[in-house]
Amino acid sequence: MSTNVSTKAGPGAPKERLASRTAAMIIMGVSTLYFLVPIWWLFISSTKSREQFGSTGALWFADFNLFTNISNLVAYNDGVYLKWMLNSILYAGTGALLGTLFAAMCGYALAKYRFPGREFIFNVVLGGVLVPATALALPLFLIFSQFNATNTFWSVFLPSLVSPFGVYLARIFAAASVPDELLEAARLDGAGEVRTFFSVSRRLMTPALVTIFLFQFVAIWNNFFLPLIMLRDQTLFPVTLGLYTWNSQVNQIPEIRTFVIIGAFLSIIPLIIAFLSLQRFWRGGLGAGSVK
Amino acid sequence: MQLKNSTRIAALGIVAAISLTGCAAGSGSDSTDGAVECTPAEGKVELSYTSWIPGIETVVDMWNEKNPDIQVTVQTGPNGNGGTYKNFFNQLSAGNAPDLGQIEYDALPNFRVQDGLTDLASCANVLDSQDDFIDWTWNQVTFGEDDAVYAIPQDTGPMAMYYRKDLFEKAGIAIPTTWDEYAAAATAIRAQGGYITNFPQNDVNWFAGLVWQADGSWFTNEGEAWDVTLTSPESEKVADYWQTLISDDLVSKVPAWTDEWNNAYNTGSDWTWISAVWGANSISSGAPDTTGNWAVAPMPQWNAGDEKAGNWGGSSTAVLKGSEHPYEAAQFALWLNTDPEALTALNKEANLYPATKDGLELPVLSEGVEFYGNQPIYDVFAEAANQTNADFTWGPTMTQTYADVADGFGEALGGSGTLGDALSTGQTKTIAALEAAAIPVNK
Amino acid sequence: MTTEAVSAPRITPRRTPIKHKRAIAFFIAPFGVLFAAFYLLPIGFAIYQSLLVVEREGTFGKPTEVFGGLTQYFLVFQNDAFWASVGRVLLFGAVQVPVMLGFALVLALLLDSPLVKGKKFFRLAFFVPYAVPGVIAAIMWGYLYSPNLSPFAAFTSEFDLLSPSTVLWSIANVVTWVYVGYNMLIIYSALLALPSEIFEAARLDGANQWQIAWSIKIPLVAPAITLTAIFSIIGTLQLLAEPQVFRSFTSSVSSTFTPNMTVYATSAVPNVPLAAAMSVVLALATFVLSFAFLKFTQRKADK
Repeated sequence: MSTNVSTKAGPGAPKERLASRTAAMIIMGVSTLYFLVPIWWLFISSTKSREQFGSTGALWFADFNLFTNISNLVAYNDGVYLKWMLNSILYAGTGALLGTLFAAMCGYALAKYRFPGREFIFNVVLGGVLVPATALALPLFLIFSQFNATNTFWSVFLPSLVSPFGVYLARIFAAASVPDELLEAARLDGAGEVRTFFSVSRRLMTPALVTIFLFQFVAIWNNFFLPLIMLRDQTLFPVTLGLYTWNSQVNQIPEIRTFVIIGAFLSIIPLIIAFLSLQRFWRGGLGAGSVK
Repeated sequence: MQLKNSTRIAALGIVAAISLTGCAAGSGSDSTDGAVECTPAEGKVELSYTSWIPGIETVVDMWNEKNPDIQVTVQTGPNGNGGTYKNFFNQLSAGNAPDLGQIEYDALPNFRVQDGLTDLASCANVLDSQDDFIDWTWNQVTFGEDDAVYAIPQDTGPMAMYYRKDLFEKAGIAIPTTWDEYAAAATAIRAQGGYITNFPQNDVNWFAGLVWQADGSWFTNEGEAWDVTLTSPESEKVADYWQTLISDDLVSKVPAWTDEWNNAYNTGSDWTWISAVWGANSISSGAPDTTGNWAVAPMPQWNAGDEKAGNWGGSSTAVLKGSEHPYEAAQFALWLNTDPEALTALNKEANLYPATKDGLELPVLSEGVEFYGNQPIYDVFAEAANQTNADFTWGPTMTQTYADVADGFGEALGGSGTLGDALSTGQTKTIAALEAAAIPVNK
Repeated sequence: MTTEAVSAPRITPRRTPIKHKRAIAFFIAPFGVLFAAFYLLPIGFAIYQSLLVVEREGTFGKPTEVFGGLTQYFLVFQNDAFWASVGRVLLFGAVQVPVMLGFALVLALLLDSPLVKGKKFFRLAFFVPYAVPGVIAAIMWGYLYSPNLSPFAAFTSEFDLLSPSTVLWSIANVVTWVYVGYNMLIIYSALLALPSEIFEAARLDGANQWQIAWSIKIPLVAPAITLTAIFSIIGTLQLLAEPQVFRSFTSSVSSTFTPNMTVYATSAVPNVPLAAAMSVVLALATFVLSFAFLKFTQRKADK
């Protein structure tokens, strides 16, 4: 799976009819509007004062209040918003990093070693992909309660580390991209299994690992049911739960609406940055799951 | 932290053991079941308290400053049905609920059914405080029992009529004092192109407040089994009245608490709102363009000359099961909900309207309010608070009842069914829900 | 998603002792322990709870939980609200999943064709919504649908997108908006992985872009489409965050709008055993549905 194939429909292609080309570009253009106008609206709304939010044209700038809004948002409630962002980054960043490592190790073992129960383990894990995360949240709460560990960082962080889908992807990718011959060669050189994994195999699996990382990152970043059930201390909330709480209070505290909007806008920036900076990796990896 | 947790578990185990044996010995005497020994602890006590009152931290800080030995940590969350009750129930079943929690009156029976409340009757000063509180609130927290107190009343939502003084004057329509006059005014206002008010699909507890005013009640509890009376004559009278307004297109039907709804008031399309005292802020923030044009009058009456009011909302402060320090928790709850300084702060921070008789006389509550043309509107609500029927009873599955009735209201507003139908569906489904939870109910 | 395709044929004879035992244990243990603690244990616990019933005496009697066999499962099957919510998401899925995947497929094929310039830009533009969490997307669209605050108020005030009859499709649009780009990328990466010689041959035979797309590309990326379909089906049955957020914008979304919301509402009653039984039924339904879909598409592909 090379990542350098985007020149495939190269210059040799014969000229298509103009009509086809125009139709295609119109579809692309309209789709672009559909995908980007809501975000544009969010950005524009973030730059408006509370009064101008409802009263000025929604898709163009009024007075540029973005920075005032941001500083108000950051100051509100002792800067709880910044805490939420930091929490989200911790939950999703660290969680996805460790989760990817564990999934990669497990998937690698399932792909590259023969041992009894291998298929059984894999099928159980695959079944895990199909279990609704929401069905787990409530029993998880009761289990964590036994250890007096609800309403802690760990109660959200630890369950987030488990990614059955990551194991599935890692296994497929390890099977496809780490040749057995290479492992044999490493063994002949006297390298240990674990060392080989970290030095040779990991490198070969990098595009897959980035993909797993991103899946996991997004899944944790978006998860709001588990934190909703586990946490009661606002300062432990991830940003999604925080904004949800604010949004449900808009009717009682109308001035909070500005914060919901600007907070929503700021909260999507880290993800966009993560995607952009890692895109040369994940583009190759995304198709991996479908390799048959 | 580690030590604290393990001692807490040990203490819990002991409490559980004691209450288990207590239960076995005293089976049959229902009311003493949950009572705990209520004595002051030695040394410093730390309490946890969960509430969704905006700015509650400020008020709690006032207590902490004065009571270095009883330190309260407050946690805020979404409102009760928005998630906090759910958390409480989970925490109760896990045995790690906070010491104190905010619980609305309509949710108290559910918490008691789930065995989540500590009986504070044996705690110092609690029974003596009965006379401080408005009668109906005391009935809510004692469930009408003489020797049990399951929470301390916090605030209330006496209802009155907010109306657009300017529009009524301009149109030459008299301010309605009875429901008949209100219906007549509705027709006159519709002729002007406006609506007298909005009928909200989802504010079923608002509708219950109207039934409350009409001396109806949706539940009665005889000790052996619950009676569900959503379809009582009083309840149906209220439903028929509003059904006529809906059928004749005399009320608007936008979902409450949305921008559309704010807009209906802000643009003068809706003229009145029968609502609770805390609604004063909802209007002023939702309809900022109408400053100075509003006024408040008592609710329209069913019989001319009556003086009856309903209630919509209000909370209590409960000591949740499992608290190791019911004595200290009860003292904090009493202070929070009776101390003039605390009540003033709660009113300032969150517009809470006190549940104590003295609280109604607070200086902040005698001032004129600019949004209402400087009318001292709280005088109207103080009267309403004292005119609220003390015998109204909530049932143990209100969330479900609200949801089922709201579904029926939605159909009525859409034209396929009536409010009366909604109540009878609610009646049937509530009985079913009680049975599903193994709660005894008369059919 | 087949397992056979992945594992190499078993050359190793049966009774050979397992090599690298310690390495295998090292690799599997971290995930294995976490999976057992945070997946298997809660599932077992949920099943255990679903077998309990509550008993009490008197109106305020203490609840006690006793073993009740399959009682809760009978109650689940009699629960109208639960089945209404299941029906609602099935209807949702039957319309939204094909629309979304069709849309994603068209965009992927266009991106892969020589008809389109500026591929890099479009690819990014379509993918950006995936960076928006469901909760945030729902808040945003909630405002866009609002009759007064929407930039398209001229339309939304005339045509109520939040009414009981339309809100399901308004939510479908939010989900579609978030996930089209993601599904498009999966299909697009599969397209990129196809060897270009196939198309060259077809082109020399005089096939145009549409024919190539229809008769060569789509069949070849069918596995990718199957994968996206399965994840979309799972996602649909789990729908929770978006409708939950919409409750702040409209009263048309009941507390039992989707199965997961019904579970949540039931556990909030609180009726934990019934909620647990619902979760188990839902998990089984998800499992069966995805599995059936997988088998169905595989059989078609094998023919």
